[in-house]
Amino acid sequence: MRRAPLLPALIFTIIVTQIPFLLTIFYSLQSWNLVRPGSQQWVWFDNYVSVFQDSQFRGVALNTVIMTLGSVLIALVLGLVLALLLNRHFIGRGVVRTLLVTPFLITPVAAALLWKTTLLDPTYGLINFVLSPFGVGEEAWISDFPLASVMVALIWQWTPFMMLLLLAGLQSMPTDQIEAARMDGAGAWAIFRELTLPHLRRFIELGTVLGAIYLVNTFDAVYMITQGGPGTASANLPFYIYQRAFLGFDIGQSAAMGVVVVVMTIIVATFALRLVFRSFGAAEGSN
Amino acid sequence: MAEVVFDEASRIYTPGATPAVDKLSLTVNDGELVVLVGPSGSGKSTALRMLAGLEPIDQGHLRINGRDVVDVPSKDRDIAMVFQSYALYPSKSVRDNMAFPLKMRGMDKSEQSKRVNDAADILGLTEYLDRKPKALSGGQRQRVAMGRAIVREPQVFLMDEPLSNLDAKMRVQTRAQIAGLQNRLDVTTVYVTHDQVEAMTMGDRVAVLNHGKLQQYATPSELYDHPVNAFVAGFIGSPAMNLMDLRRANGAVTLGGTQVPLAREVADAAGSADTVTIGVRPEDLSIGGDGDGVKAVVDVVEELGSESYLYAHMAEHPDTTLVVRGPGRTKVRYGETIAVRVDPDAVHAFDASSGERLGS
Amino acid sequence: MATTTERGPATATSEPADQEIRRSTRTGPVLLTTLTWILAIGFFFPVLWMVLTAFKTEGDAQSSPPTFVFTPTFEQFATVFDAGIGPYLANSLGATVISTLLVLLLATPAAFALSMRPVEKTQDVLFFFISTKMLPVVAAIVPIYVVVNNVGLLDNIWTLIVLYTAMNLPIAVWMMRSFFLEVPSELLEAASMDGASLGRTLREVVLPIISPGIFATALICVIFSWNEFFFAVNLTSANAGTMPTFLVQFVTSQGLYFAQLSAAATLAALPVIIAGWVAQNKLVQGLSFGAVK
Repeated sequence: MRRAPLLPALIFTIIVTQIPFLLTIFYSLQSWNLVRPGSQQWVWFDNYVSVFQDSQFRGVALNTVIMTLGSVLIALVLGLVLALLLNRHFIGRGVVRTLLVTPFLITPVAAALLWKTTLLDPTYGLINFVLSPFGVGEEAWISDFPLASVMVALIWQWTPFMMLLLLAGLQSMPTDQIEAARMDGAGAWAIFRELTLPHLRRFIELGTVLGAIYLVNTFDAVYMITQGGPGTASANLPFYIYQRAFLGFDIGQSAAMGVVVVVMTIIVATFALRLVFRSFGAAEGSN
Repeated sequence: MAEVVFDEASRIYTPGATPAVDKLSLTVNDGELVVLVGPSGSGKSTALRMLAGLEPIDQGHLRINGRDVVDVPSKDRDIAMVFQSYALYPSKSVRDNMAFPLKMRGMDKSEQSKRVNDAADILGLTEYLDRKPKALSGGQRQRVAMGRAIVREPQVFLMDEPLSNLDAKMRVQTRAQIAGLQNRLDVTTVYVTHDQVEAMTMGDRVAVLNHGKLQQYATPSELYDHPVNAFVAGFIGSPAMNLMDLRRANGAVTLGGTQVPLAREVADAAGSADTVTIGVRPEDLSIGGDGDGVKAVVDVVEELGSESYLYAHMAEHPDTTLVVRGPGRTKVRYGETIAVRVDPDAVHAFDASSGERLGS
Repeated sequence: MATTTERGPATATSEPADQEIRRSTRTGPVLLTTLTWILAIGFFFPVLWMVLTAFKTEGDAQSSPPTFVFTPTFEQFATVFDAGIGPYLANSLGATVISTLLVLLLATPAAFALSMRPVEKTQDVLFFFISTKMLPVVAAIVPIYVVVNNVGLLDNIWTLIVLYTAMNLPIAVWMMRSFFLEVPSELLEAASMDGASLGRTLREVVLPIISPGIFATALICVIFSWNEFFFAVNLTSANAGTMPTFLVQFVTSQGLYFAQLSAAATLAALPVIIAGWVAQNKLVQGLSFGAVK
């Protein structure tokens, strides 16, 4: 009886999120190409063997790690700087925060288009115009630095989130601690290093884990800005699997890749999430 | 008009562990204000919550007006409670907060508003009726919580540390208000506090609890004059009674070289034990002018104006400390040696191992 | 003499010079504030540039150096509306609103069960909900496509509604649970002693307290559903396409014309930007599954 209110949400989630995943495992053991009807047959672990022999898959996996971790870390550092700047009383603080949070809200597809066209365009882009006094000419950022171009858009979108998270962390810090430290003779840097950073540690951990969870699924930016190209230079796993499934119609192969990605994610994420939520005490609230 | 009886009532959170409330037996007479007092973890709040129906009664019985309420849900027990945090409904105005229990009982609108207005009048809340709790001071919120309880005209009032969120001055004022209100309404009231001053000043009778067990249930003066054990003796009274384990010989104990005779019945009750716990209240110690008495060195002087308290240690046994009440504007200073005289008739004696009172 | 005779009410109320409040004259805070403003404008500028470009002619939009002063025009917005944005807008609205309502309908009782009277294995259930957010969506897209295709629900708005509901449900459960936990238990005890039934207590006591939380949860679900692209691009086309897919389709059909694109992107992004500005205090709470209050 007591769990009755819980059941609809639980059953719905199990059906919509778990059954497809089981089917993914099922399909990953088959050879099945949608363009060749009747090609469906059991091949067991052949798909997995070819996934691990696929050098492109390895390159794309590496891209995914670089894109995810690089974006998360840079966004964290920038977010920390902004959070520290915003954690003071000054004129227009609310407006500044609203301005800063906007890049996070903008529809990722629109953001990607914005970067691809008006900002990073070699001839008409704002970036080259701003950088022209520094001797940068008509640099074709997207074709010369495809991965970095995608990451710039991602970092631009995720820095505000890190800022909000770390600002919440800073504001949860008791001011009497800082006052006590100041009376004990600690300077601004000492306070930051000895008190602020240790206090922020769990917020930084949370930002890393959450940013990674959301960013490892990045699809919009790759799809809109580079289409994974040139070649697979800027493709990540979601985009690569999408290509295999919806452009190559290779259900078996893409399912096997999906399973590999899930296993890797689960290994990293269960560990990291438990850690973070334990340190936040969100878990203990029930009693 | 109700009588409340705890009959060996127990609350056991985890079987096998020490019960939170252990076989509590206690009768609250009709119209009486009884205070449950004890240190934190003594089970006083749990006992109140058992009466409120917020905690189950795992063993024993609990009767209100002769009816066993063990299986009666709290809304049907005809009781009202004032919570420590007041538990006001933040989205409702003062008026709606006070009317809520009446509305839940399906009382008609005109009777509701009559009762709310009467209660607001008694509590001086009339001009705040349309405010939200957020817009009230701590003392006003406390009175709204009282109001929500009295509109019900319940058989029993329960109060769980209702003054602990008020500042010192408000607390003394509200203490008197609650006692006055209770006298006037003549409703049986059970009041929980950790503050023995509150207990002594408000209670018709006071129940002292410790570790889930009832220690003593008596009037304030009885508790003060005849504590049944060393715990009650030390808990009631401020500053606390001086309690010392002393060797006994020849029907007397030796305190700092001075013989303090023990009453015969105390000596009889002590049997063959060679130490007893002696208790003397600070006001039963006095400073001897001519140098006879127990020699003690003063560590701290607390000057209160009308009187003073001297915290001292014995010259011969530096580990034994004493609190002595002195006159107001005392001349005694830190570091001075004073001679302390004991009034032998005011000495309490307790068994050194069980803590039980010896003699009457 | 003139000063005394001309002292009007305005000068009379101003403070004498010797009582003037001492103000900080240090330059450090001023520099930091200036730096903060520069960074904020730097971060915001691309968005502003998008909106500005949307009001330019194509010639102004694609010029080197960029045009900063121009006569605004609505012709780009006209082009976007002519390109048939209507159905996409309606689909986005439908998918967003209906999935958000479904999420609230499912998440509120679940969060209640997981907070105010916790059931056994609360922890496990909570972690199950988050763990579903950790499964890369791409791992599920293949069977979802196959199943949806087989039952003939490809390019159907209800497919997106179901998926968006599942996508937002874990966030909503965690977030709402953190709001429920903020309701003091003494309040519920007081209500039960006052004789209120559970339903009554929820409606009259709990709901008013958590309604700002429900609103914030809803806004966050709106943001995520509106912005979702992966499912939309793979499972819909002309019939059930949403705003992000409209942008893609618009690029394909019209080509990369900066001003037109900016107008379309502005229209796609605007509702969520406004929703996000309203909910910005609660964004972190939603995204962190309620771990940060």
